[in-house]
Amino acid sequence: MTNNTEPQRTDDAAEMLAVIAAQQRRVDRMMLRPIPWMLGLWGVAWLVGFTLLWSAYEGGNPWFRIPMSVAAPIFGILIAGAIVASIIIGIRLGRGVKGVSTFAGAVYGVSWSLCGMAFAALGMGLIANGLSSELASIYFPSGFALMCGTLYLAGAALWRQVSMLVLGIIMLVVGAIAPFFGAPTNNIVMAVFGGGALLIAAIIFAVRLRQGR
Amino acid sequence: MSPTQQGELDPVIHAAARLKITATLATLPVGDRITFPRLQELLDMTPGNLSTHLRKLEDAEYVLVDKEHQGRTPVTYIALTKAGRRAFEDYTDALRQLLGGTA
Repeated sequence: MTNNTEPQRTDDAAEMLAVIAAQQRRVDRMMLRPIPWMLGLWGVAWLVGFTLLWSAYEGGNPWFRIPMSVAAPIFGILIAGAIVASIIIGIRLGRGVKGVSTFAGAVYGVSWSLCGMAFAALGMGLIANGLSSELASIYFPSGFALMCGTLYLAGAALWRQVSMLVLGIIMLVVGAIAPFFGAPTNNIVMAVFGGGALLIAAIIFAVRLRQGR
Repeated sequence: MSPTQQGELDPVIHAAARLKITATLATLPVGDRITFPRLQELLDMTPGNLSTHLRKLEDAEYVLVDKEHQGRTPVTYIALTKAGRRAFEDYTDALRQLLGGTA
């Protein structure tokens, strides 16, 4: 190569491009570091919570049974804990940054509580109109999964995160197919596929962050 | 600031520390600002070092530094200006061209 390329300048250019790439990777890593934790927490909450519910219903878990008076409150605590953790993680993710994306983040955060209340109210309304407790035990887990799936899709669009898109689709599929297994089997379907998908997503996300994408 | 000549690398950005600062600010969406401590954390720079380089970038009108008050505590927000974002893009384009960006 005897062109008029100056080796020193091209070396320099390559080095500067590497500096840019390394720094932007570092920013990505620091900004996204809490996300595997959030996915993992939700995964554990679903896996343990729905397994407990499944073990509380008659005709559920064939190996052991847990009284509903124990399973239901633990399920509630797990889900409430995951919601609180997500809010804290969400606030930490956006700390120190202010501007146009603050609005999007705030709307997204509020969406979770609003949608949660709307889906719960619909279930109550159905019960008030004679929905049996067996059907209610099919509606609530699926309604919840569909809500999470939809919100994950919105999050995927907002932050252009393919992992959130995949997760959203899995949640929609799990929520949609679980009722076909009937109660109480729908609970273990939610635990294994929903919780499992969340845990696998957490691991994939963590590995990719460590490798720098 | 005179516009850089073709083939010349922008001297304001062409310094590892300022390049890192500009690259970090460029990851924020247009319209977002970041606080001084958070930027410092993302860059792992001392406050004095970061201030010095920010002043050079501010003099070139590549960054906008705003001091606001939240209650009694002053908060410093930093954002890339339109000129700063353009300069960063031109700079990276120039680097790629130097590396044989004929393709």
